[in-house]
Amino acid sequence: MMLREGLANRVLLWVVTVAGLLVIYAPPLYLLAISFNPALQPGLPRLSELSLKWYASLRQETALIGALEQSLIIATATAVLATIMSLLAALAYFELRARRTAWLLAVILPMFVPGVIQGLALSAVFTRAGIKASTLTVIAGHLLWAMPFAFIVILTSFAAVRRSYLVAAADLGANWGRQFIDITLPLVRPGLISAFIFSFLLSLNEFTRAFYLAGRQNTLPVVLFGKMNSGASPVIYAMSGAIFLISVLCVVLIALRFLWQARVADSGRRMAR
Amino acid sequence: MTKHVGMFASAQHSNMQRRDFLKLMGAGGAALSAGSLSWASRAAAQDAATVAFWATATLDIGDKWKAFATQNGVAPEFTDNGNDIGPVIARLAAGNANDLFDIGGFQGGAEKELARQGLIIPWDLTKIPNYESVWQWAKDIPYLKHDGKQYSIPTVVNADSIIYRPDKLGKVDSYGVIFDPKLKGRVAMEDAWINSAIFTAMYLKESENKPIVEPGNLTESELGLVMEFLIKHKKDGQFRTFWNGWEQGVQLVADQEVDAMTGWEPIVYEGRKRGLQVEYAAPVEGYEGWGNNTVLLKGAGDRGVTDTAHKFVNGLLGGFYGCELGQARGYLVPTDNNLTYAKAHPDEYKPDEVGKLAEHVKAKFAGKVYWQNTRPDNFQLYEEWWQKLRNA
Amino acid sequence: MSRARLPISSMLMAPPLLAILAFGLLPLIVVVVWSFWSWDPVTYWIKPDLSLAGYAGILEAGRWTVIVSTLIKAFGTALLCLLIAYPTSYAIHFLAGRRLNVILLALITIPFFTSYLIRSFSWRLVLGRAGIINDWLQAVGITDAPVDWLLFSNFAVVVGLVASYLPFAIFPLLLSMRRVDPTYLAAAQDLGAGFWKGLTTILLPLTKSGIFAGFLFVFVMVVGSSTEVQMLGGAGASIVSVMINDVMRVANYPMAFAISTIVLAVIFGLVLIGNRIFGLASLFEDQSP
Repeated sequence: MMLREGLANRVLLWVVTVAGLLVIYAPPLYLLAISFNPALQPGLPRLSELSLKWYASLRQETALIGALEQSLIIATATAVLATIMSLLAALAYFELRARRTAWLLAVILPMFVPGVIQGLALSAVFTRAGIKASTLTVIAGHLLWAMPFAFIVILTSFAAVRRSYLVAAADLGANWGRQFIDITLPLVRPGLISAFIFSFLLSLNEFTRAFYLAGRQNTLPVVLFGKMNSGASPVIYAMSGAIFLISVLCVVLIALRFLWQARVADSGRRMAR
Repeated sequence: MTKHVGMFASAQHSNMQRRDFLKLMGAGGAALSAGSLSWASRAAAQDAATVAFWATATLDIGDKWKAFATQNGVAPEFTDNGNDIGPVIARLAAGNANDLFDIGGFQGGAEKELARQGLIIPWDLTKIPNYESVWQWAKDIPYLKHDGKQYSIPTVVNADSIIYRPDKLGKVDSYGVIFDPKLKGRVAMEDAWINSAIFTAMYLKESENKPIVEPGNLTESELGLVMEFLIKHKKDGQFRTFWNGWEQGVQLVADQEVDAMTGWEPIVYEGRKRGLQVEYAAPVEGYEGWGNNTVLLKGAGDRGVTDTAHKFVNGLLGGFYGCELGQARGYLVPTDNNLTYAKAHPDEYKPDEVGKLAEHVKAKFAGKVYWQNTRPDNFQLYEEWWQKLRNA
Repeated sequence: MSRARLPISSMLMAPPLLAILAFGLLPLIVVVVWSFWSWDPVTYWIKPDLSLAGYAGILEAGRWTVIVSTLIKAFGTALLCLLIAYPTSYAIHFLAGRRLNVILLALITIPFFTSYLIRSFSWRLVLGRAGIINDWLQAVGITDAPVDWLLFSNFAVVVGLVASYLPFAIFPLLLSMRRVDPTYLAAAQDLGAGFWKGLTTILLPLTKSGIFAGFLFVFVMVVGSSTEVQMLGGAGASIVSVMINDVMRVANYPMAFAISTIVLAVIFGLVLIGNRIFGLASLFEDQSP
């Protein structure tokens, strides 16, 4: 890069980064290790003991698998809706002049409501309105949970949209819609992707709201919570481990694709010179 | 067995519509779900009448519900309610639980309140022939009836005391071990006043002769006495922690965090399965008795499935369920039907093990037992004191 | 042009506004209204007799101390996360090459996919008396008995909280660093500013929105959390969500709602104060010259 941080500073930065990563990764890696331990007592397995016993028994865990499906469906729907709604809210934010801060505060207010309260209150509202609990009610609850986060993330990415670009486009005859599609959207794409991922993960892991709003099919965190409280075999660690491994796989694949595209673009640029 | 509810869930679908709907969803769901085998098994089990059972995981028998369904003609859809009575009652009172579920299963004590609020309806014992076989002392549990009507059926009963490591502590026969200053930082109690207050009250009543009448239902002054005692010990650093939930409890014992703690008996069985030396104490002060009971939710009445519900509960007391629960978790359904069933099907369940479990629990209840109660008269005061304990 | 703006902003606002009003504001109003009702000992639910009993209860039994300690935990964790996340984001954005950048980003997302519950639980296994850290400490000879305070202490809670919520701070910071043109920093260095000077005068102001977002995210998550405190905190450790659950368990809904209203009011008040001082709107403004 063009910066010279100096060796000492560079080392410091990397040390902190590695420390941070270690702290984040200690639990999931530990869990992954435990899931290969065939013994009932969760602990690190000796190399000779490694076994896929709990993974093999995952197929029979209809309760866990059903809950996982439900969580994935809800998380995807939440992510899609939250991203779209937050994008609209962010666009509105920039169109507003005077009421801007009020709008910002209104959108982020739901963030501060404790999950227990929002879950129970929303459930009460639904019950009195005659709306039956189902996947949709959970999505509604999760939407309100994820939207403020997605909103702020998208707002942050809007910094790439310089007013000068929009003005130039307008001068060239583009109306609002064209400006949006050709200029704004491509520039905020990283923000949209981040917002999507964020909302997806927030919903996937959310427990308290889902408990109050769910229909008969519980979400995965709710089922895991129940199992941890009343007797579970280490199969829950295998479930966690499986999710971890699959997500590693997905992320690695996406990363590789991105890198490959970048390399193609780079070599294309080099050849063009 | 849990049911995958699609976008158009409505608990008012009749069984017929539910079956067709599920077949439709099954076709589409096969594309969605990871493995179509889960769908096939769910669709197949729809041939029996279904009932939605919302209960603590204590009452779950997992895969065996299918066998239960074939035997009894009722297929329950089990949904875990999280075991924390607070959110369960909140969801019944203000939330959607009555729209979704037909039968509830949770700790006893709240029946009076739920009945008063009209959230549960009485059982018709004439439709539950197996109720006859329930042991008398189980039928006599205080809070099952309200206003002369039977609001809950005792489904699982047990008596709790102390889990301890005999290799560290020798033989333990008193709750004094939990408050022994020599074991500072090496004991734990459950993070629930429902249990911990009773144990402490029992200890104070029996071993320190404090003026306590009913440990399960403390008066204001008795409660103050008990909680001050606990607060003092907490401030002294007596407790390593308060545990919350099965996995936490087992982990504390297994990982040497504590040498003794008050808790549930299956933790001992699980500990032994994991190769640890753990024992369950038979304290001189007595046991804490508790029951997980099944209640009939008002929603079931509204939807007209009460007959199926009665059939279901009858099945729970029929013997198969009791044998399975005993074998899987060491929990007991208080009826002799379990032994009858085991004797009739010795290839499935060993009659002497079933018999041993029954005798073991009966013996506990023959001695001193004080009943757990999720709703003592001063229950809001209990919470206030527990807050003080937390902040001490 | 300006006349055409008005309908567009209203049209844009409509869907999210509707969602917020229906699913966010309505339940909140219900909560606030119900917090002023009384508990009915006959039905064990609430009745519309106005009373401040719910709020009064917060002053008893040390409940308000739980609210205060929760806010302190949230503040501290958010600060700690920022202190770790800022260098991490810098390293990922400016130091790492293209490939490493992507890898690190991926690494940060992945643990999100596992459940908080199980992650917090596994810290018990790591920090416990028979856990890895104690084993290592004894093996290396630093201590000869297991260290007790690693688990069931504030230390454990902070570790658990940071481990759970650090990615929440990294993400927004990374996003905001992307918009920083490295030529600014290079120019500052060419003009003689050292690394730290360049950092404080140029990078920090430009990434203000990321800092705010990161802090806010972690803060909010900690206030709403309960598993880390319950699993790692020790005998009776408490936090707002646990307290609300405790209160609801005894059907004292007015108090539960009162506690939530207070927490909401306090946090919102803090945000408003922050707005006065920092000017939230300017955080997301177009900063082109």
